[in-house]
Amino acid sequence: MFNIVKVFDRLEEALIASLMGLATVIIFLAVVHRYALGVDWLYHFADRFSTSWAQELCIYLFVWMAKFGAAYGVRTGIHVGVDVLVNRLRPRWRNGLILFGLLAGALFTAVIGTLGAMLVWQMTQTGQVSADLEVPIWFVYLAIPLGSYLMCFRFLQVAWRFSRTGHLPKHDPAHVEGLDDVQGAKA
Amino acid sequence: MSALIIFGLLLALMLTGMPISIALGLTVLTFLFAMTQEPVATVALKLFTGIEKFEIMAIPFFILAGHFLTHGGVARRMIRFATSMVGHWHGGLGLAAVVACALFAAVSGSSPATVVAIGSILLPAMVKQGFPPRFGAGVITTSGALGILIPPSIVMLMYAISTNTSVGALFMAGVVPGVVLASLLGFTTWYRARKFGYPRLPRASWGERWQALRQSAWGLALIVVVIGGIYAGIFTATEAAAMSAVYAFFVSVYVYKDLSLKQVPRILLESANLSAMLLYIITNAVLFSYLMTSENIPQAMAQWMLDQGLGQVAFLLVVNVLLLLAGNVMEPSSIVLIMAPILFPVATQLGIDPIHFGILITVNMEIGMCHPPVGLNLYVASGIAKMGITELTIAVWPWLLTMLLFLMLVTYWPPLSLWLPRVLGMIP
Repeated sequence: MFNIVKVFDRLEEALIASLMGLATVIIFLAVVHRYALGVDWLYHFADRFSTSWAQELCIYLFVWMAKFGAAYGVRTGIHVGVDVLVNRLRPRWRNGLILFGLLAGALFTAVIGTLGAMLVWQMTQTGQVSADLEVPIWFVYLAIPLGSYLMCFRFLQVAWRFSRTGHLPKHDPAHVEGLDDVQGAKA
Repeated sequence: MSALIIFGLLLALMLTGMPISIALGLTVLTFLFAMTQEPVATVALKLFTGIEKFEIMAIPFFILAGHFLTHGGVARRMIRFATSMVGHWHGGLGLAAVVACALFAAVSGSSPATVVAIGSILLPAMVKQGFPPRFGAGVITTSGALGILIPPSIVMLMYAISTNTSVGALFMAGVVPGVVLASLLGFTTWYRARKFGYPRLPRASWGERWQALRQSAWGLALIVVVIGGIYAGIFTATEAAAMSAVYAFFVSVYVYKDLSLKQVPRILLESANLSAMLLYIITNAVLFSYLMTSENIPQAMAQWMLDQGLGQVAFLLVVNVLLLLAGNVMEPSSIVLIMAPILFPVATQLGIDPIHFGILITVNMEIGMCHPPVGLNLYVASGIAKMGITELTIAVWPWLLTMLLFLMLVTYWPPLSLWLPRVLGMIP
């Protein structure tokens, strides 16, 4: 059971990292392509395909990245709030409020997920397709229910762990991967 | 009445410490459920369409570029260049820190990233050279804030998104104030260093300077890609952001070779994590401002403020105080996304230029990042300097005072920000 969750975690990470990389490469290629069209000797080569769909695809990739990344963010504790007041309270009150906040997050994402699922269902009835890529809109919008339910699961997961162990994930903005070896290097 | 309920609810939810994005979303849901006949199903649609704009996608791209640069030794070469240019004056490495922060700010859109990139290298070096830790930490914390004033800037992008202002014009408008603020911070550093007799470095020869410039040229060229590219109309802000991400990857991995290909997935993931968080706040803020508009709140507030006989001068003062207060408890992106749609209609009615207003908000956000209780720069710097927040708060005051003076200048002298975009013909 534990291992399945672990595998699932890695899959989630791989998905959002690849969406990020893919979107970057696509926009880069689209810009290069646009300029290649303006160069004589490249024109015949570049003219064979079009990249008008790039912008739309980039948006969809990023929306998916945002929805799943937001769920990942719950796990890494990057969604910050106003904790000035809460941190001054007595531990019992503080813990209660933190738990309340996490459960409120779970409630919100559950509601959004359900609304999103209803929306997707409506979309399947219309058979609408997107403007440039001509993929079914319902498939694109699937990011809302999937992402939101996943986020809900993450909130519950964090709340459960917090109530059991008092451990809360916290994102450290000062930590930079791979900078330790540079640290203290001569300026 | 509904305005009071909405804001009351939002405030109450935020004070429980829950994520701001969730607080915004829950406020909207509760209000729609309880008070209106509005179909709640539109909410889910808004959560998608809210970020379905190509302009918004510049945010993840700029974050990715910034991550590549922070990891990839670009900062180190910029520091070497800055040190060779100004290191022999009073303030030595401190002055170099200001210059390096300004240079790095021109390739990165975020303040904490600038503090990390420059601070983690220069702070230990400064302490080793005999600077008091407080001096170094103060310089880095405040100069790092240049990150959001000198383009590219995530905060400006947020403002542009929520008010439909031109990103290009905003970026250009940030250049002159950015240089002025860097000079002012540099002057403060120089003055205090001279007063207390802090160490200086031997003057670098022109050969060494040329060498340092050549080494950092790859990083510096990114400034040209971003600013030049947008201004010359070669690409849009989002495309410029994507190009700079690819360029930063190329430079870090293949030119400087400070980053191995194996580290790239990790950087992608970290950038995605940060971008997703920001995009999530944006979607919920869009939801919130949709509710506000449908309840006619911004217009009502604008009318109310006008009825109070508030002039430009008084209004701007109120805005500054309001934003500085908000900066006490919230991080910049959320503040801009919540406040800009409310304040913007009043500003335009009073005849304040949208671009000028955006720069003013950005400067306020900068100051908010440098003072407690919720100054992100402060936290990042305290992590690097291994110094408590209280001590760091004392350490930053000379520079913080400089920034407050600068804020007055920006607020009441619009040409400072409007001159450059006007000369370039980007705004009338």
